[in-house]
Amino acid sequence: MRDGSLLLVLILLPFVGAVLAALLRPNARNTEAWLAGSVAGGGLLVTLFAYPQVSDGGVIRYVIPWIPSLGLSVTLRMDGFAWMFSLLITGIGLLVVLYARYYMSPQDPVARFYALLLTFMGAMLGVVLSGNLILLAVFWELTSIVSFLLIGYWHQNESARAGARMALTITGAGGLFLFLGLILLGRIAGTYDLDGVLKAGDVIRAHPLYSTVLVLVLAGALTKSAQFPFHFWLPNAMAAPTPVSAYLHSATMVKAGVFLLARFWPVLSGTPEWFTIVGIAGLSTLLLGAYFAIFQQDIKGLLAYSTISHLGLITALLSFGSPLAAVAAIFHMANHATFKASLFMAAGIIDHETGTRDMRKLSGLFRFMPYTATLAMVASAAMAGVPLLNGFLSKEMFFSEALEEHHETILDTIAPYVAVAAGAFAVAYSARFIYSVFFGPKPTDLPHMPHEPPRWMRFPVELLVVICVLVGVVPNLTIGPFLRSAVISVLGPDTPAYSLSVWHGVNLPLIMSIASILGGLALYWFLRRELKIDADGAPGMRGIDGQRVFERILVAVSWRGARIAESWLTTTRLQPQLRLVVALAVLAGAWAMAGSWHLVPPVNLHGLDPVLGALWAVGMVCSVAAAWSARDHRLSALILVGGTGLVTCMSFIWLSAPDLAVTQLLVEIVTTALILLGLRWLPKREGLPPRKLDLMARYRRGRDLLIAVLAGTGLAGLAYFAMLMPRPPSVGDYYLEHAYVDGGGTNVVNVILVDFRGFDTAFEIVVLAIVALSVFALLRRFRPAEDNLDRPFQQQEQDANDEVRRDREVGDTLKDYMLVPSVIMRWMFPAISLFAAYLFLRGHDLPGGGFAAGVTLAIGFLLQYLAGGARWVEERLRILPVRWIAVGLLFSIGTGLGAILFGYPYLTSWFQYVEIPFIGKMPAASVLVFDLGIFWLVVGAIVLVLVAIAHQSLRTRTRRSAAERQEAA
Amino acid sequence: MMMDFANVPLWAAIVAAAFFVIGAGLTLLGTIGLATFPSFYARIHAPTLGSSWGAGGMVMGSMIVFSAASGRPVLHDILIGIFATVTTPVTLMMLGRASLYRDRSEGNPEVPPAPEAAANEPALAGEGGDAP
Repeated sequence: MRDGSLLLVLILLPFVGAVLAALLRPNARNTEAWLAGSVAGGGLLVTLFAYPQVSDGGVIRYVIPWIPSLGLSVTLRMDGFAWMFSLLITGIGLLVVLYARYYMSPQDPVARFYALLLTFMGAMLGVVLSGNLILLAVFWELTSIVSFLLIGYWHQNESARAGARMALTITGAGGLFLFLGLILLGRIAGTYDLDGVLKAGDVIRAHPLYSTVLVLVLAGALTKSAQFPFHFWLPNAMAAPTPVSAYLHSATMVKAGVFLLARFWPVLSGTPEWFTIVGIAGLSTLLLGAYFAIFQQDIKGLLAYSTISHLGLITALLSFGSPLAAVAAIFHMANHATFKASLFMAAGIIDHETGTRDMRKLSGLFRFMPYTATLAMVASAAMAGVPLLNGFLSKEMFFSEALEEHHETILDTIAPYVAVAAGAFAVAYSARFIYSVFFGPKPTDLPHMPHEPPRWMRFPVELLVVICVLVGVVPNLTIGPFLRSAVISVLGPDTPAYSLSVWHGVNLPLIMSIASILGGLALYWFLRRELKIDADGAPGMRGIDGQRVFERILVAVSWRGARIAESWLTTTRLQPQLRLVVALAVLAGAWAMAGSWHLVPPVNLHGLDPVLGALWAVGMVCSVAAAWSARDHRLSALILVGGTGLVTCMSFIWLSAPDLAVTQLLVEIVTTALILLGLRWLPKREGLPPRKLDLMARYRRGRDLLIAVLAGTGLAGLAYFAMLMPRPPSVGDYYLEHAYVDGGGTNVVNVILVDFRGFDTAFEIVVLAIVALSVFALLRRFRPAEDNLDRPFQQQEQDANDEVRRDREVGDTLKDYMLVPSVIMRWMFPAISLFAAYLFLRGHDLPGGGFAAGVTLAIGFLLQYLAGGARWVEERLRILPVRWIAVGLLFSIGTGLGAILFGYPYLTSWFQYVEIPFIGKMPAASVLVFDLGIFWLVVGAIVLVLVAIAHQSLRTRTRRSAAERQEAA
Repeated sequence: MMMDFANVPLWAAIVAAAFFVIGAGLTLLGTIGLATFPSFYARIHAPTLGSSWGAGGMVMGSMIVFSAASGRPVLHDILIGIFATVTTPVTLMMLGRASLYRDRSEGNPEVPPAPEAAANEPALAGEGGDAP
């Protein structure tokens, strides 16, 4: 268990660190670096500490069951392969943090940077440590999102925004495919547990859905690892700060795709489909990436294409399907991470010290920064595959595997030639990078005078280069054992014998290596002049631009497609929208009910209480009359709707549901008053000529009437029949019995709301908050119709009157008229507040509760606005509805979390009687705090809507004066 | 508190019933008046029967029944009476003023003119403040 908790610590540490980092001051560079460094260092120590348990095929597991019945659990799992990746993530993470301390300028908001970097570290650790497919998919998407945010870190930069969007679109879409694929995989294997899936390889490969799963999983893996034809997002992601490029876009995140391929290699590989798709993707990416890299002018662009090419190499190795090739692939993942991260950091140093990354401008930097230049040269040599460096070893393994016959296909035949060609290209772009940046004449027009970087900025590069050399010279003493654990954990008993030694004698792979090095140098020699003046992009390939294709598709889908869809499917008018929605609901209801007419019980009116019947007749008349008068007499319609509401309220009382009655009454009051206030902003009706009904209008009205009647009678019939159906065993009895025993309250409705179904309530109030915020957002931008811009007729007239008379000021008449009513309304405020408190406190045992109390207090505020106007109220009371909503949410959600602290499930309640002076013994349940949250949220939500309406009149006045000014000018 | 309506003694029930009948009857009268009186100004006076003694009768009856049933004086119903008495006039005042405003601006001869001399000055309705 102790080892398992180790994994939990490892994965939580970065997330906790991210939260802390986000809370620091934006420019606390040193504190941030220390914090992030300690988190990464801590993660590194934990990883190292875990090694003994994962060597030789050991696996650490840690399971937190979540929904075991659905196979969902938080399963963390570390084996040798995951360990190797954890080491890369934490180790390179630590170096990147150190590097970023010197790279980021004091003006950059580093709090965001480090918080995102640590979040990424946690997400990436989550990807490699997930022992559950669903968890893996979640962390996978999280890495895409953080990558998006980090690429767009300098969001003032257009190219950063575009690059971030593109990366997210590609990798996010790939992640969705992967998610589908993983779900299918889990269904086929019968479990979402990674160990179970890895054991079910034969079942999966034989399953008819195998190719679907394969395509979906590959869609995720190949997009993430920037494989052809999805490679183009990676060069555009270079707009990110260089530490991000070094960390995410060379060492770790882009490795997630090949990590996934290797992880599922035992399950998915070995079939012709696998070899074809992965092989084509890998080999073409290897070759094209290397070819494009030669012709880049930006150092980071060159490195990005080189990364693409190396990832293609790994993919190609994995496609071969032989265990030895898998060994080489895993080995190259580690090697590439070390030398490419160091190269990116070196590129960042050059950019930082000279102010440019354009290789046409850079030259002869060796004399200014010999130390950095040497480091970069060693790392580039590793990238090119020069002997005695780590890149050479894995490249040799690749060459020998490419020579092996795996399948009888043309792809297999051309593999060695592709390998040599790509090797030659790699040598050419490495040589170009070294020669054009560090040698040649002195640079002429550099933004800064270059010099060596600070000592500790160079240190990460030094360390990584030393590792490259050590692994290259004595592989068996350095990476040997770790690689072995990683390989065993992927391949299991199939692990082949392999040799890591530098010298294998003169054989074909060595000859291929020599050929590619010489060929590459020759290629660079021929191209060197052209490269110095050439524009960006590779010759022969400028027309075929994945990026342009992507953009064209994006434009087609998101702009033209959306417009076409809009013109066909939507309307800007409310009436057709409502008609569509209601008609669809009618059709769906008819469809669902078709063929079940025999279930309808016989209609009988026997036993109908005449009083209740009469009451409902009144309600029905009110609602029909409201609909009738809605067009021309809005006020009467509103009053009639209120009548219907009152009838509903009275039927609740009649049926002994005082709680519902109280709530209904209060809600009725608030909605009626709010709609009444809103009526003033509707377009005016008076003065319109009576419309002549032509044929079309008659048809429209008839159709709408038909839809309305169908929907109304359908709903009424549905409700009627549902109530006549024999009652299923109800949970109501359970609640009645357990309300006091388990919930500590005698008001069953309230106990259900805040305790038994507290989770529902929590979400319902969240919905309420969202609704209030959307109403506010909509009304904030609301502009009334032209004829409503003026103040109401009466108001204008009375103000004009006041103005004419000498003894009166504008507004006096209003004041006189409102004198008595406003005094009464103001004096009602304390009474209503007290009533709200009363409703709130008695809620647990008697009708009332947080919701009713909240609505009551909101009515109090409403009266104040009516009595004195918005200005008067806001001068005297602090109206902060948004804050109230926030406080309410925090209270209600926080109470639920409190239960977790005491080891109970979310929203478990606690109650006891407490003695309060003057009031007496009172039940104090923890749900009271939950209810308090509901209370504040409801007050906030209603007052927010009220404020949104009330401020209309204030704002319109200022707007009109602006229009007048314009007229005068 | 335990409540058992079987505890209510007959005399209390008779008194309470009398109050209920008085209250309900007065309210009924008020509504009949509201429906049948000839002018608006007359009609808005009729419902006051319901809001004064109508409500009062109900409150008295309720207090008697609940006091008898729970065996202790239940007096807080009286708050209903107080608040009904305090708040209903607001409605009447505002309705009356709105009507008066409209009659004066339409030049209806049956209403008294505005107190000030300004001949064409219409008195003003009780519009709800400068906002909303």
